[in-house]
Formats: sequence, structure tokens, C-alpha cells
Amino acid sequence: MSLKNQGVCWHAIERRAFLRWLGWGGGTACLAACGTSSPPASKGQKIIVTFWTPGGGGDFCLGLDAIARDFEQHHPSIAIAETQCGTGDQEFNEALLARIAAGNPPDATVLWTSPAALAARGALLPLDALMQPARYAPAENWPPAVLASCRFAGKTYGLPVTAGSCGLWYNRDMFERKGIPASRDDFPRSWDELRRLSKEFTVWKGDILETVGFIPWHAVEDLATWSASNGSQLYDAAHRKYTIDAEPNIAMMEYALDWLNEEYKGDFARVTRSGNWEGYEVEGRPPAFIDQRQAIFLTYSWNMGLKIFTQSAYAWNMARLPVGPSGTRVVAGYWPNWLALPKGSRHVEQAFAWLDYMSGEGVQAWFRNVPDLPANLKVPRDLLPTALVDGKGKAFAQDIMHFFHDQLDNATPMWDSPVQDFAMDQLRRALEQIMYKLATPRNALAEAQKACQSALDKVLQAGV
Amino acid sequence: MAATRVRQARRGAARRREARAGLLFVLPWLLSLLLFTAYPVLTTLYLSFTDYNIVQPPRWLGLQNYRTMFTADPAFWTSVGNSAYYALLAVPLGLAGALGLALLLNARTQGLGVYRTLIALPVLVPPVASTMVFIVMFDPDNGLINALLQAVGLPTVGWLTDPTWAKPALILLSLWGLGASVLIFLAGLQDIPQALLDAAAIDGAGAWQRFRHVTLPLLTPVILFNLVMGVISSFHIFTQALVVGGTTGKPLESTLMFMVHIYRTAFRYFAMGQAAALAVVLFLVVLVVTLVIFRSAPVWVHYEGREGNNR
Repeated sequence: MSLKNQGVCWHAIERRAFLRWLGWGGGTACLAACGTSSPPASKGQKIIVTFWTPGGGGDFCLGLDAIARDFEQHHPSIAIAETQCGTGDQEFNEALLARIAAGNPPDATVLWTSPAALAARGALLPLDALMQPARYAPAENWPPAVLASCRFAGKTYGLPVTAGSCGLWYNRDMFERKGIPASRDDFPRSWDELRRLSKEFTVWKGDILETVGFIPWHAVEDLATWSASNGSQLYDAAHRKYTIDAEPNIAMMEYALDWLNEEYKGDFARVTRSGNWEGYEVEGRPPAFIDQRQAIFLTYSWNMGLKIFTQSAYAWNMARLPVGPSGTRVVAGYWPNWLALPKGSRHVEQAFAWLDYMSGEGVQAWFRNVPDLPANLKVPRDLLPTALVDGKGKAFAQDIMHFFHDQLDNATPMWDSPVQDFAMDQLRRALEQIMYKLATPRNALAEAQKACQSALDKVLQAGV
Repeated sequence: MAATRVRQARRGAARRREARAGLLFVLPWLLSLLLFTAYPVLTTLYLSFTDYNIVQPPRWLGLQNYRTMFTADPAFWTSVGNSAYYALLAVPLGLAGALGLALLLNARTQGLGVYRTLIALPVLVPPVASTMVFIVMFDPDNGLINALLQAVGLPTVGWLTDPTWAKPALILLSLWGLGASVLIFLAGLQDIPQALLDAAAIDGAGAWQRFRHVTLPLLTPVILFNLVMGVISSFHIFTQALVVGGTTGKPLESTLMFMVHIYRTAFRYFAMGQAAALAVVLFLVVLVVTLVIFRSAPVWVHYEGREGNNR
């Protein structure tokens, strides 16, 4: 029995007609999808600013959202959308660049990649015109060496909202047990002095290191700082030239090798097998300094909120990096979080207002959450990490934070290359080859120099 | 005569209609092939001659990416060496292991279905998860593998933390995914006529001789298939290497495989043109190796019933 016979109104659809309608429907849906997802806000409506961060975990992102709510109270016409905390399985820069290329980027973003590198690829908006009239963002409100990481071709493409500065952490109790003066002023001022001091603490038990003094520069992130402390640099931003294989840098690595041979049996593999000397947990291995097996290491200011520092059973302090044989002045390194506006940002003025607020006021709340050092010079310098105050007392916390601010004032320019990540990988390769004695410092650095300059030239040729 | 012409014309029209209908039926597949395979392949080839960073339009460079690759990219030769080492050891080991397991599964014994399932099961585990498990097992201090070595009185090694042992550890890890090859070998083994094996047995051939002179020759087409697939997949090893060594190929670039180098060139350095050039080179290498294997096939592959192919 057919449906017609049952009196149901039924028109059989021809296959061709069905396919034709399907085609029209699909085409219409595709065209609709190509349109903008959110039309610009009309007068009186709040403007919604989208904001991304590469990650940082739940507490960090919740903290950013709390700052956004404060900002909204001061700027009733702007709403900050919930912070997109990372991009899931997709690598952050990959997702960000794809969105920029597609014309649908976030309005503002935190960056963990040098703005100079992204600016050289045309991915960011220049901020100079917006910075000058702003409350916190004008160029003179930032340490010049830190702002240098945001500059490319004479323009500024980011704001270094925080810049954790570095120093040498040392275990005061270990010093005092050996009768070595433990005040900051007594700490070694030259590499030779540091090397002599380090030997006092290094003890081998067979092939295993029981305790160490200081292991010379083996982390690629700190190499630019050590190079500067030896009066040199790895990248000359003014002349757009890499100087990795400059004589003072070769001498710096030969110095490290000589040190390794003298104090660490010339075997870096044995050193790394003996413990985690990095000052933070590595692949589940706790840092050796917790058990008082390491007297000195380089660390950054943001760690001052961690329990392993604030609740240590022993006394510690921070000291400046000593000066190398070719160096003339004390320098420090830093590691920033940057704020930027991606190319294609739809609400430039509102998004920049958010970045400006974050640079001066928001960053203070950020500091309370994670003690990253605010870089803007208008931010009060008396902020203290609560955990450090609770664990070690207010006077000590004040002294330590004063130290890190001083370090930031003495920072050397870094993170300023248009091929920053590429160069870091090449330097890491060179450093490993030197430390594991697979290449001489001269050859390893020359190879890195050639690769980095070649990559840099290619990026610069493209122009923006 | 006229009726014949009319019939021919009608037949021609019907054939054209049939061809049109056929084309329409394959159109979705054809379109997806053009859009998702041919277009990316051709675009990759084009981009390999350009400087391209996703955001800006590609800029023509000619052969510069290829020159850079061979002369100013130290990681290129490292990754080539690592991938060749991996392929040369992982493929034969994988083939031998898969064949051995297939022979065991082909035996008539109780609980065979359970064994087959157990061996095929690891294929279903996501590579990231299985690699994470192996990282724990390879841990030099607390890992299961060093504990076993210690238990039998052998020296322990650094595995994934030691540049000498990191690649062998990755090769061992690759054996985890043998299940698919085992199933293909098993199908091949079950396709061998029992009559041939019985005839060989009647002629006095022992187990080894039956395997050497009957099973193995008849299995060569399956070995060829698994060999080609193994070579291609070994050149494409990515997930395990990335999870173990990150984009730097730690320790000491010992796990920096070619695919990881392509990935980091594209998505860490934003040098899409350079990455495309690397991908083109990989494609050509895999193509040449595969062609060499196919050209060598008439010498060692035996197809049942094909005349003059019983060498």
C-alpha cells in the first residue's frame, strides 16, 4: 500500500532534483561560513576583545581573567573575552599564525616567542603610535635592553609586560660550613674567582658527583648573558649580524671546557648522570640543590614564589654574575612575557588599552599570582612575593626583590633576533657539541654562526 | 543499414550517458584526491622554491632552499643520518619480528584467538600514549628495562638520556606496533596450500627445509609488501621521536629524525619554504628507495602461477 493511497500528501523527490537542492544548500552554507563570525559592535554595545595566552596553567589563566574583570570596571565599553589558555594539541605559534593568515586572529595575545621574530614575518602590528599617548606603555617607561626584544626595523611590536631577571643563587649554609664569607658583597666578581670558589664544593665519589660548586654555562638560554659578561654578544641587532664565533665567545667556551676538564674530569655526561643541576625539576628528577648537593647555580626571579626556595631548611642568597676576562661591567639576563597585537586585530584601540592596563596595573595582580617581575618602570618596586615573605621574612624578601630589580636595570639586550628560535637551536647544538667534546669551540660556534646568519639574511631579504 | 546506424547511435549515446554517470559517481573521490592530495603535493613543490612564512605571500627564491639545506643547515645531515640508521635497523628487525610472531600464531594451539588479539591490540594504542609508557620503562634509574637487565646481571644503560642508546631505544619502541605486519604475514601464511607442505614432508623435508624452500618463497610477495610499507613508515617516524626528544632531538640531537626536522623548520622557525624543500627531498628519497625495492623484486619475489618466475 502506497502512502498516496493512505491520503498522505507526498511528492516523490527526483534524485536529480534532490542532488540539485543539495548542491544549492551546500553552496549557500559554504558562502555563509565565509562571512565574518561576529559583526562589529554597534553604538552603545560593548566591544569584545579576544585575548590569547600560550599556556601557563589554570591558575595563571584564571588570574588573567580576574585582571580582565578589573579592567572592565575601569573601561565599561570594553569586555575582555575569557582568556584562551593555550591552543590545545596545536602548537601555539602555529595556531596564531594560521589565524593571522586567515584574517581571524585574537585581538591581543601574550607571546612566549620574541616579538622581533614574529614582527620580521609581518605577523604583528607596530605599537609606537599607540604607546606614546598611553599611561604606562610609552617607550621611556621600559628598560631599554628589555624593550629591545620587541623592536624590529625601528618599530616596536610588543610590550615586555614581565621580565624575570637572573642572578646566581647560592647556599649560605654550605658557604659558612666551609668558613667562606657568605655575604653578597663577598661573592666572586670574576670568573677566575668563581672557578676557585666552585672547586671548594665539588666532591667526586668514584664516577658520581656527590656535591658541586658551580657548573659553567651549559644552558643555552643563559649563553647571551654569559657572553655579555665577557664583553661580547651573540647577536648585534644594530647591524643585524650574528657574532656567535667572535673571539671572546670562543674564549668563553674554551674557558668552560678548561673548567670542565679541571673540576669535572672533562666528562659532561658523568656530570649530568650524577644529578639534576638545573635548579628546577627535570623529567621527574628533583633539583640537587634541595638536598644541599649544589652550592651555586643561575636562576630567575619568578622562582622566588616556589616552595623549594621559600621553605628551604637552610639559608640562601642571590649574587650578581661575575665578569669574564674580556668583560668590563656586571650584566644580567632576563626572560620576558610579551604582550602584542596580531596583524588583523579587529579592535586595535580597545585591545591596546587592555595591554596598557595589563602593563601597569594588571601586572601587579599577575605578580601576586606568579611573581614574574613587572618590567614597566611606573610599577611600584615594593611588590613582594607573599610566599617569600612568609617563608623567609619581609626584610629578606625586600632585599631579594631589590636585587632582581637592580639586575633588570643591568640587563643586556637579548631575545631580539628575527630568527630567535632557530638561533637558540643552533646554539644548543653548538653548546652540546662543545660540552660533550664532539667539536672544538671554534668549529662548533663557526657552524652555528654560518647557519644563523644564513637564516637571518633570508628573513631580512623578505622584508616587512 | 539505416537501422544499424540508429542502433549504433543509440548505443553511443548510452555509453556516453554511462560514462557521465560513472564520472559523477567517482567525482567526490576525484575531487578529494585533487583537493587534498594533488593540490598539497604540487603546492609543496612550488613552495620549496620560495620563502614562505604563512603570513606573507611566498617570495620566489629558486634553488636557494635546497642550497641552504645541503650547505648551511647542520641539522639536515644529522637528521638524515639518524633516519637512515633508524630505517636500516628498524625495518629488518620489524620484518623478522613480525614474521616470527606470525609463524607462532599460525601454529595450531589452544587460545590462539587470545594471542592474536593480544598481539594486534597495541596497534590500537595511540602512539603518544605508548611512547609515554616506554619513556617510563626506559627510565635509567627507576625503569622496568634497566631493572630487568640488573636482575640478570647485565649492565644498565642510559637509554633515552644517552645519545648512544637513544636511537636503539626508539627502534625497540617501534617493535611495539608490529601487530599490523603480523596480521598481514599471518594471512600470507594461511594462504600457502597445505598440499605443498604435505608433499614436501612426504619427500622427507624437515621443518626448517619446509620453511626455507616452501613457506618463505611463497611468502615473498607479502614480505615485499611489508618491506615497502616498513621502509616508508620508518622514514616517516615522527610522533615517537618528537615525544622522546622534542624538537631539539635530545639527547645531543640523537633522536632528531628527518620528519621532526621538517616539523620544527615549518612550525618553530616558520620557514615553510625550507620545510617544503625538505619534504620534497624526503619524497624523492622514499620514491627512489621504493623503486629500487620494486626493481629488485623479480630477483627474489615468487608469484604463484607466474611463468618464468620460479627462480
